Amino acid sequence: MKNPYEVLGVTPTTSSADIQKAYRQLAKKLHPDLNPGDKAAEDKFKEVAGAYDLLSDADKRKRFDAGEIDASGAERPQQHFYRDFATADNGHPYTDNSGFADFMDSDDALAEFLRRSERARANRRGQDLHYQLPISFAESVTGANKRLTLPDGGTLDVNIPPGLVDGQILRLRGKGAPGAGTGGAGDALIEVEVVPDPRFAREGDDITLELPVSLSEAVLGGRIRVPTPTGDVTMAVPKGSNTGTTLRLKGKGAPRRGGGHGDQFVKLKVVLPKSPDPELEAFVAGWDKGKAFNPREGSTS
Amino acid sequence: MIVNKQELLAHARIQSQTLELWLEQRWLIPDQATAEMNFSDLDVARACLIRDLKSDFGVNDEGIDVILHLVDQLHGLRRALEQLHKELPARKT
Repeated sequence: MKNPYEVLGVTPTTSSADIQKAYRQLAKKLHPDLNPGDKAAEDKFKEVAGAYDLLSDADKRKRFDAGEIDASGAERPQQHFYRDFATADNGHPYTDNSGFADFMDSDDALAEFLRRSERARANRRGQDLHYQLPISFAESVTGANKRLTLPDGGTLDVNIPPGLVDGQILRLRGKGAPGAGTGGAGDALIEVEVVPDPRFAREGDDITLELPVSLSEAVLGGRIRVPTPTGDVTMAVPKGSNTGTTLRLKGKGAPRRGGGHGDQFVKLKVVLPKSPDPELEAFVAGWDKGKAFNPREGSTS
Repeated sequence: MIVNKQELLAHARIQSQTLELWLEQRWLIPDQATAEMNFSDLDVARACLIRDLKSDFGVNDEGIDVILHLVDQLHGLRRALEQLHKELPARKT
């Protein structure tokens, strides 16, 4: 293998930041997936990547400079590039024909050919079918098993993983339209629509809920039932809670990436009795300390 | 070859959190016909490409979106061209 400094076009005194720069310059031009038609790019890229792997590792670079190791063995393990699969004859979910869709629409021989080959490919993979599936907010948090009724009357069982967000797409391989020959069926692509729940708001993995409490619950404290996406739980409201007081229910949020759950935050809102209560009015009228307290004290308006 | 989530993470040398982010961006669309996510060779290679773009080339998320879209179009064109190439000699006779 060639001297890694020569491969990257740098010298042994070049700083590691400049080595990275030199590598990026070369790799951008040589990456096989950015040069799908260039067979030689792969070998050149491997050489450059191997040289960079050696020189970007401070320890390896030191040992190479000291002559303890040579440049051999610095090659990257066999990597399969996207270009090796992306042009597969039987198609795949990332297939994008929009690059020549305009040609297919016209009237000439090329358009005719493109249309015909699209239809008649011997081992054509079936089309992907797109569906939309509304789920409730609670189901998006807990996960669910849903049955989707298809336009042709069939059904499709969909396993909704917990923690989905609105607009996420589930792919069910082989559940799309049937293909021709050995092409296999296409996929069903299901866009999940999370129907918002007026009670809950989701921020990342956490869920917030505004919960009305009575005056007596706020002043005296108590245990109250709180709805969560996974069902009601009992929560203790501390004495002297106020509108805006936020309490945390640990682990009652949406599933967190990489395990665990977010939290549910319960924001209290003190609500007076619906109809004016003479007893309450009489009490407040005789409550001197309450009159002396000005919650707007210090505010400019 | 079909691999599960753990195998994909090992092949592509990425963290589980990174993968979740990519799934959210719809850069990767795994097969979820069963309860477990399944990834094909194509998905693995695509994950490696995204990793190269992000970590080696320093492309940001918006850039990845643009690149993947163009790369997918390029492959659609390449496939059409390949078919045309196969058919042309047959048409001459």
